[in-house]
Amino acid sequence: MAETKTHGHHRFILPLLAIVALILIFIFKPYAVIYGIQRGSLYALIAMPLALTLGIVGILNLAHGDFLTLGAYIAYWIFNSTGLDPLLSIFIVAPLLFAVGAGLYKITVSKVLKAPLLNQLLLTFGIAMILEEAINLIWTSRPRNVYVDYASASASIGGFRFGTYEFSYLLAAVGVLVLLRLFLKRTRLGKAAFAVGQNPRGAKIVGINVEMIYLLIFSISVGIVGIAAGLVLPRMSIFPLFGSPFTLKSFCLAAMAGLGNLTGILWSGLVLGIGEALVQSFEGYSGWSDIVFFGVLIAVITIRSYRGSYV
Amino acid sequence: MKKLGILLILAAVVLGFLFPLYTGPYPLHVMTTVLTYMALGLSWDMMLRTGQLSFGTAGFFGLGSYAALLTTLYLGLNPLASIFVGGIFSAIVAFGLGYAILRLREIYFAITTLALAGVFTVVARNLHDFTGGPEGKILPSAIFNGDPTKVYWLTFLIALGTILVSEIFQRTRIRFAITAIRNDEITAKSSGVDIFKYLLFVFVITSAIQGVVGGAYAQQYGFVSPESAFSTNFLLLPIAMCLAGGIYSTLGPVIGSVILGVLSEYLKLRFPYGHLIVYGVIIVAIVLFMPHGILGILKKMVQKARTGVGGNGNEK
Repeated sequence: MAETKTHGHHRFILPLLAIVALILIFIFKPYAVIYGIQRGSLYALIAMPLALTLGIVGILNLAHGDFLTLGAYIAYWIFNSTGLDPLLSIFIVAPLLFAVGAGLYKITVSKVLKAPLLNQLLLTFGIAMILEEAINLIWTSRPRNVYVDYASASASIGGFRFGTYEFSYLLAAVGVLVLLRLFLKRTRLGKAAFAVGQNPRGAKIVGINVEMIYLLIFSISVGIVGIAAGLVLPRMSIFPLFGSPFTLKSFCLAAMAGLGNLTGILWSGLVLGIGEALVQSFEGYSGWSDIVFFGVLIAVITIRSYRGSYV
Repeated sequence: MKKLGILLILAAVVLGFLFPLYTGPYPLHVMTTVLTYMALGLSWDMMLRTGQLSFGTAGFFGLGSYAALLTTLYLGLNPLASIFVGGIFSAIVAFGLGYAILRLREIYFAITTLALAGVFTVVARNLHDFTGGPEGKILPSAIFNGDPTKVYWLTFLIALGTILVSEIFQRTRIRFAITAIRNDEITAKSSGVDIFKYLLFVFVITSAIQGVVGGAYAQQYGFVSPESAFSTNFLLLPIAMCLAGGIYSTLGPVIGSVILGVLSEYLKLRFPYGHLIVYGVIIVAIVLFMPHGILGILKKMVQKARTGVGGNGNEK
């Protein structure tokens, strides 16, 4: 959570850019704006916990997206065996993932906190592999989905129809953002976590239980992914590699916003979401949309490295 | 001791070369796969020795695959020659990209190489007319008309060449520069090591190796597609093999690829779905419990045996 002040200007530039782009694109490609906002909020919702772990624990969790897959499969399994609505199952999935995160942190992540970065990256890379393959082993690679009638709800403005269910991603992203900010700024525990992110050694000296904060933040992050998992299930087919692209996308948003800037992640998510949807709206070029995130990620990292600070 | 070592290596090379004469097509195929991963693993480890963790192995492998296959397809280039084109193409791309990304460190370098591999995949999938899009391209016939013995020898030579390059890196002054960069970059810089030059050199060489391996792989099947060429297997398996064998050495990846390669083949037969979980478990276990891999354990055992039997700990 360091270096917040050096990149404060993003808070003004990004929203401004977003609004200008929004108006321009809305005139020519109204669908791109709507779909872009929807998927962009989902990206942001998933990216915020990744940034939280990266900023406070200092670990880039390469298995981040695979927790989304795991959560979605658990919700799927709950739906199939009890008929419980995926949205309601969030109240089971999120705490369950919180527990999974806590367990994984205790058994593995906490062991490499002081190890070279290489070990940390390889560890979470290995965990990602285990999750993907375990899911493959249990549920095979056949795509799965659930049907709930509300997921296909739609509305129309001025003649074009679009799905409205996906706006729940925006609601969830804003909700999680507000709660996280309140937590970090207002609660005792959150303030302690913020302090650990700023300066772990200093935090330890003033008596903060750094280990406990790490455990808590890592688990909360995985738990939040569980919320996203329940949300996407009614609308998307899931398969073992479903979540893995979200890891890189999340990192892209975190890098774009700058560490410690959770609000910036939402804006970045919206910008890139609309960017992706825009590329997809050109017929015959939709396949190129994946390049938006990769390109922005490479550009952001490279440009920042020339400026002397990565994030 | 040293003479014995050379004899052992020579024996291994001769045995490896004569392997097709005393086995059937199935073990031959398994060994060809093992050698492919061995070369990839070594190239990954060579880059790692500089302290830079690359996730671009599959990316440059894929570039080489496409370059080799497409030059044969469109220009009628001899398949053997096209494999070198694969290596050269990957090297050129690495050279150009290296200027931009080799200033990055740690997670930023790792993530950027991963993203680059993603870009390559998207490009390969979307240049429909040129690369065949998601379906890829097929050659009328595989290299050597699919003769498994010749394919094995080709892969064997590539792996052997990679081992030689790796050993040259370990035995010449390149090694000191590389190790110095990994251990303490600022000290290396202030002792006059041109860090960027060495990083670029190693990045280009290792990418060229990955390109050659990719080219050979594509020609072996006479087929290339985004899913086959840029498969994460070519990223994950070599890493797991290196870690299992022991990183920062030539012998480690060699041992690791033979053991894990054969093991995974067995597991593939037992569990068609999700057998790769073993690789994930191995990566996690090694990182947590034995960071020096099998080679590290062997070294420790040898050391113990020597000090135990000889009773003289200083002997080396």
